[in-house]
Amino acid sequence: MRTLRGLCLLLAVCFTLSPLWGRAEERTLKRAVFLPQWVPQAQFAGYYMAYRKGIYRKYGIDVTIVPGGAERPPSRYLETGEAQFVTAWLSSALQMRAKGMRLVNIGQVVQRSALMLVAKKGSGITKPRDLEGRKVGLWGGDFEIQPRAFFEREGLHVKPVRQSFSVNLFLRGGVDAASAMWYNEYHTIINAGINPEELTTFSFADLGLNFPEDGIYTLEASLRRDPELACAFVRASLQGWLYAFSHQEEAVNTVLEYAAEAKVPANRAHQKWMLARMKELIIPSKGGAAGLGSLKQSDYTLVGRELKERRLIGNIPDFSEFYRGCGADVQK
Amino acid sequence: MTVETRREKEITVAAITGRMDALTTSDVERTLMRLLDEGARTLLIDLGGLDYISSAGLRTLLAAAKRMKAQAGTMAFVNLKGHAKEVFEISGFYSLFTVYDSVESALERLGR
Amino acid sequence: MFRNRGIAFKLIALVATAGGFIFLCVFGYSYLFSRRTIEKNIEESARNLALATVSRIEASLRSVQKIPLNARYLVESRPLDRAALVDLLLNLAENNQDIYGAAVAFEPGKGKNERGFAPYVYRKDRTIALTELASERIDYPLADWYQIPRELSQPEWSEPYYGEGQGKILRSTYSVPFYVTAKEQRHFGGVIAVDISLERLQDIVSSVKVLRTGYAFLISQNGTVVTHPRKELIMNATIFGMAEEAGDAGLRELGRRMIKGASGLAPLGPGPLGPASLMYYAPIPSNNWSLAVVFPVAELMSDVRRFNGIAAILAVAGLAALSGAVILIARSITRPLRAMVQATGRIAEGDLDAPLPVRMSGDEVGTLTKAFEDMRVSLKQYIGRLTETTAAKQAIESELKVARDIQMEIIPKKFPTFPEGTGVDIHAWIEPAREVGGDFYDFFFLDRSRLCAVIADVSDKGVPASLFMAVTKTLIKAKAALETAPGDVLTAVNEELAAGNGTNMFVTVFFAVLDIETGELLYANGGHNPPVLIRRDGTAGPVEKTGNPVVGVIEGIEYRTGQLILYPGDTLFMFTDGVTEAVNRGGELFGDERLLKEVSAAADPSPASRVAAVRNALARFSEGAPQADDITILAVRYAGPLQSEHTGQA
Repeated sequence: MRTLRGLCLLLAVCFTLSPLWGRAEERTLKRAVFLPQWVPQAQFAGYYMAYRKGIYRKYGIDVTIVPGGAERPPSRYLETGEAQFVTAWLSSALQMRAKGMRLVNIGQVVQRSALMLVAKKGSGITKPRDLEGRKVGLWGGDFEIQPRAFFEREGLHVKPVRQSFSVNLFLRGGVDAASAMWYNEYHTIINAGINPEELTTFSFADLGLNFPEDGIYTLEASLRRDPELACAFVRASLQGWLYAFSHQEEAVNTVLEYAAEAKVPANRAHQKWMLARMKELIIPSKGGAAGLGSLKQSDYTLVGRELKERRLIGNIPDFSEFYRGCGADVQK
Repeated sequence: MTVETRREKEITVAAITGRMDALTTSDVERTLMRLLDEGARTLLIDLGGLDYISSAGLRTLLAAAKRMKAQAGTMAFVNLKGHAKEVFEISGFYSLFTVYDSVESALERLGR
Repeated sequence: MFRNRGIAFKLIALVATAGGFIFLCVFGYSYLFSRRTIEKNIEESARNLALATVSRIEASLRSVQKIPLNARYLVESRPLDRAALVDLLLNLAENNQDIYGAAVAFEPGKGKNERGFAPYVYRKDRTIALTELASERIDYPLADWYQIPRELSQPEWSEPYYGEGQGKILRSTYSVPFYVTAKEQRHFGGVIAVDISLERLQDIVSSVKVLRTGYAFLISQNGTVVTHPRKELIMNATIFGMAEEAGDAGLRELGRRMIKGASGLAPLGPGPLGPASLMYYAPIPSNNWSLAVVFPVAELMSDVRRFNGIAAILAVAGLAALSGAVILIARSITRPLRAMVQATGRIAEGDLDAPLPVRMSGDEVGTLTKAFEDMRVSLKQYIGRLTETTAAKQAIESELKVARDIQMEIIPKKFPTFPEGTGVDIHAWIEPAREVGGDFYDFFFLDRSRLCAVIADVSDKGVPASLFMAVTKTLIKAKAALETAPGDVLTAVNEELAAGNGTNMFVTVFFAVLDIETGELLYANGGHNPPVLIRRDGTAGPVEKTGNPVVGVIEGIEYRTGQLILYPGDTLFMFTDGVTEAVNRGGELFGDERLLKEVSAAADPSPASRVAAVRNALARFSEGAPQADDITILAVRYAGPLQSEHTGQA
């Protein structure tokens, strides 16, 4: 009788599980949740395209993209497991790692820093020296690392003002220089009627502070559990980026749809600009596609040292433990 | 072919230059007849400029001479030379007409 | 290409071109003028409309601005506790329908005020709700509405934004910094802010009616579209973004001027903001936004265009009518011309009877046609006469041919032959200058032993001369039979010819009688070229003149008889002046010397050869110059008495 019951149970289990088997016969898609570090915009166009064009599916992943924003910090989502993959800045991730969170970089997407300071030539600022004693808008957190390093190096004493996500304070003249992302706020400023020749820019990438930014991160545990999934995700994402770069109009349209869905105001010209700049930041001018998605140890060390200098971290985490690169052999 | 006329007192002098042949002789005839119509009683024809004269030309001169005779006038020639002189000689017109050697002697003689 | 087209075509082309050009000039000017006038008027009314709308907006904004400014006074004058503040805010909200929400936000300080203190009232459904902005979620000191007045130390209108929740109501916040005095020092205390819904503003702007399709729109200080008839542009586009999209640098420039607070009239090309228009823009002084009143050019100019359209149609119709008239006139010219062309064609082919279409029109064409017709008629008559004359001439020519034949027949052609060494050898040649001539020669035997030879030249040539020649020849032959001496013969002939000679024609004659038995030659010369006597030894010279004049001029002349002895072998070469007076191309005369030379140079002493020699020489000399006079040659060679003692022949 026990065997009969056991048999029935086995049958019942098989029955209930059979749909799964059925599906297994059709496809074996792994589920994953991905959270970009900010609201939908062309900064994440590659991921959207990878999803839309079925590249993730082709790589065997059923991805759900969660719209990011101020109230959705990537670290939290990773920790809680709400997302398997997130994007974050290298400097932020390093700090997280140093604090003990066991996350790893599986693909360094943005190779070149887009952070910059912008000033109006009309306010008398044309070279770094002119920033002495002036009000400089800073975003705080990881966005302050490069500017502060810069001021120290140049021996400048500025009046830092906390800067919100808007550039209006700068536009109205409330600060003399503002922090900006080249792919985002810079264009917003241009779009508010200021001509490029009227601006002085200080790009940290050209000032010896070229911190790579957006990278794809996952928990070490997730990686160990399913390394193929992690790498597949990275490769698919990179392929999504390449697609976006060669189909910019389509990509912009997709981004606008995602933005509208998330009720985020977005305008086409701005997203077009953003996508074009992302291309320059993601495909490095030297090395071409070979370097796509890979993190150079020299860049890692640069960031690590600065963080240590600022006493934001204690010791620089070991590079080989931090970086588990997957992007090297992506096909175009 | 041209005919130039002038008056020397009572004498009309007509100087013929060029050729007098069948083509031109009618003009000469007209001129001479006109002079006669105008009442010339004494006509002296100067042939110094005459290059050539054909039988038609001779006829014209004959006709003028006959008319002059009928009007009881006098006609004479002067300055015969070259071809015209030969023709006058052969045709015997020399003996028919009065021929002077020079205009002066002619005018003098005719004037009397 | 143009040259070969018809008159009608040329006229029409010219008229159409000139007319078209004139019309174009007139229209062009009238269009430009009306357009300029309209533009001027538009600028006027646009400015008025814009300024009127701006003042309405200003009024609305200023009334709102008063509220926080007044509240600031209150807040600054004495410290208020939270309850009092909330009361103040509630009052403000209740008493001012324009206000959507109001807040007093304090600068976060130390201690318990660290996060800040910012009560905020807002309308919710029908009530006014209260909330505290200083919370974990909202970092108000970082907000534009707080930071900007703080950093600029002056009140500030914010960029438009959508409020959270509550549907899509566009809002803007007016925030005023307030200051507190502590320890005798005035420093920044915080910001008093009121939110107003921009609906009122949007309504004011939408209510602006311009013509039929004109409208007004509003952009913010950053160039964002605040209100526009095309709702999808609101908040989604900045004027600069639109310019970037369209690649329109002019639009960007215009946007910059607008946000810098300029005002003026500017053309707006067709693009994202609407069709081609004229735009008057003016700033809203309170918040530095910019209002634009747009006049679509198409509508502006529609009246003018309609006018021009109708005028153009009239012009085209006028030109067409003009062309029609031109065609008619051209036809009235070209049709008779074409008929004349046809008729002249027929005339050219020989049909002189083809009448021309004579029209009674008094113009040039009619005159021309009449003239042509007259010409045709006289041409026909002339040709008729010419045909008659030609026929008559042909008749005469054929008669002349006959006359020539007759003439030639009466001149002996057959030369007598004698046994060798006896008698005479005669050869002659005659070549009249025209069909019939005035020269002749003759020879005949008076009796067995006496030969008469005559050569004569009648003055002139042609038919009169040939008649005279016939008469003379006959007379001479007749008289020769009666008289014995050649001189007497000529005397008799002269008497006959001179009597009643009204034509003044004369003949030069050389008449000789040779006694063949004795060789005695008697001769008479009436004004003729002395023949050449060539002795048997070859010496040659002219026969002595007799001094007698031409025959037939004057009666009563005694002709002398000359005398010569011919020896066997001597040749008497008679000729007329056609030989010596033959001219070559250079006008030279053949002359007596040349004749003498040629005659005596003949290789063969026979008369035939001598005649041939002279003929050849003449031919060579004259080289194709036309024959001026009749040429006649008669050569007689004396061979000897009829019966020679040596031969003993009978």
